Amino acid sequence: MARMKFICDAERCIECNGCVTACKNEHDVPWGVNRRRVVTLNDGIVGAERSISVACMHCSDAPCKAVCPVNCFYTTDDGVVLHDKDLCIGCGYCFYACPFGAPQFPQAGAFGLRGKMDKCTFCAGGPEKDASKTEVEKYGRNRLAEGKLPACAEMCSTKALLAGDGDVLSDIYRERVMRRGRGGDLWGHATAYGVKSVPATQPAPVQQKS
Amino acid sequence: MKRLFARIAAVMSATVCAGALLAQQSTGPTLPPAELAKQQQAQTTAQPYNNKPVWDNARGAVSGYTSIPGPEAGVLIQDGGQTWRALKNGTVSVWGGWALVAMFLVTGAFYAWKGTIQLHESPTGRLVERFSFFERMAHWSTAITFSILAISGLILAFGKHILIPVFGFTLFSWLATLSKTLHNFVGPLFIISCVVTFVVFVRDNWPKAVDFKWLASFGGLLSGKHVPSEKFNAGEKVWFWGGLMGLGIIVGVSGLILNFPNFGQTRSTMQLANLVHLGGSILFMVGAVGHIYMGTLGMAGAFSAMKTGKVDEAWAKEHHEIWYNDYKAGKLARHENRAGHPQPVGGDD
Repeated sequence: MARMKFICDAERCIECNGCVTACKNEHDVPWGVNRRRVVTLNDGIVGAERSISVACMHCSDAPCKAVCPVNCFYTTDDGVVLHDKDLCIGCGYCFYACPFGAPQFPQAGAFGLRGKMDKCTFCAGGPEKDASKTEVEKYGRNRLAEGKLPACAEMCSTKALLAGDGDVLSDIYRERVMRRGRGGDLWGHATAYGVKSVPATQPAPVQQKS
Repeated sequence: MKRLFARIAAVMSATVCAGALLAQQSTGPTLPPAELAKQQQAQTTAQPYNNKPVWDNARGAVSGYTSIPGPEAGVLIQDGGQTWRALKNGTVSVWGGWALVAMFLVTGAFYAWKGTIQLHESPTGRLVERFSFFERMAHWSTAITFSILAISGLILAFGKHILIPVFGFTLFSWLATLSKTLHNFVGPLFIISCVVTFVVFVRDNWPKAVDFKWLASFGGLLSGKHVPSEKFNAGEKVWFWGGLMGLGIIVGVSGLILNFPNFGQTRSTMQLANLVHLGGSILFMVGAVGHIYMGTLGMAGAFSAMKTGKVDEAWAKEHHEIWYNDYKAGKLARHENRAGHPQPVGGDD
């Protein structure tokens, strides 16, 4: 079984925000919600500037899943962390726990009342029937079910952002590092995948609704 | 009892430690961003093939540029979440949850031992007004809002462990949505009720020397010896200052921070507020179990005092002797002399 991961190669990212646009376009993400963002460190400082595209990293031991008061998260067989919007109550706990700032909330009312959480699905939709109308409306397109990889990585002009099976990505990345002789530190990987996958201690909601 | 206090103290100190830890974490690296950039610039010259320092520093408070709007959008990795998760799911919830269970057990055991404590003397049939209508309204507003908050809060904090296996996901999610909405809207009403209750009862809760005597023997609750007290005994006063005011402020302020996230609070602020809120509200509930027990099952006549506002003279003499003597001597102000007793000659105060 594949273990889906993201890699962002900081030696290649040129901060074009193509991944951000691709994502918004692919999933028709509502106004104010950004599933992916590009962050540039040391902006404008020669030699120290690096950009990283960041979204949900689909952690092995996902903190969002651990703190959710209604247990609406589940990890698919591919290692993708998804959630059920029918169960989500919009409490914001996942946002407090997430190291990457991935969970997003559309504003649903006055005083910062949150709507149901939205985040990167690794283009794998949600618990609804694959490619059904409700799935597209709630979670965006399910590209994985169509045999395609996430739109952000597919669209990346420099192939800085890679998405797919962790083993395959590692091989590609290792070769790059060997060839150029630098930049072997994978941003975010210790945080997201540093822990071995934990066996579920809580029951998970159904992974596929009929 | 001692062990229970030790547990409560453990939860309290865990909450404080959590706060300190989060505060420390949220500050991240001590160097200012400009200094860090300079360091990394030097790094690219000295060790061009080693970017590790860049990524080691790209945590916590270090924020980069991003075209995406939103608070903390420029932060790549926030560290506090993992600490918050560990403390919230672990220390605070586990110890707090068991402290609450222990409190129920201790109270149950106490009831099994003592039962409802009856009056020693037979009632006189003459009634004394103990609480005015307004005082009772203030008390019950606080009590009802507190109960709603306690139940909805418990559902949100522990429901996934206890109720999901019973109800299933869909029904529990509906219940949690209801709890969240109730909690968010009733919270501010509770704060207002607390403030009104504080103002109404503060005069009679002022600590006096006699309270220390009461506390020293725990009101004679265990020995059965009579200890005179004012309108409120020292136990009630501890609940007033420590519970209503102390925990009220702790839970109220942290609750408002969590309830109104539209003032640009950072995640570390929310994490800290959540832990303080969770720890504080568990202590509040532990105290409330004792308070509710004493006001209903524990002490005969206590509930009707807050329900009707009136108590029997025998009850007043036995439980609040100093207050009763003042009443008899006509020293009490306002309404308390209006319960069908002749006013003392030559004064209405």
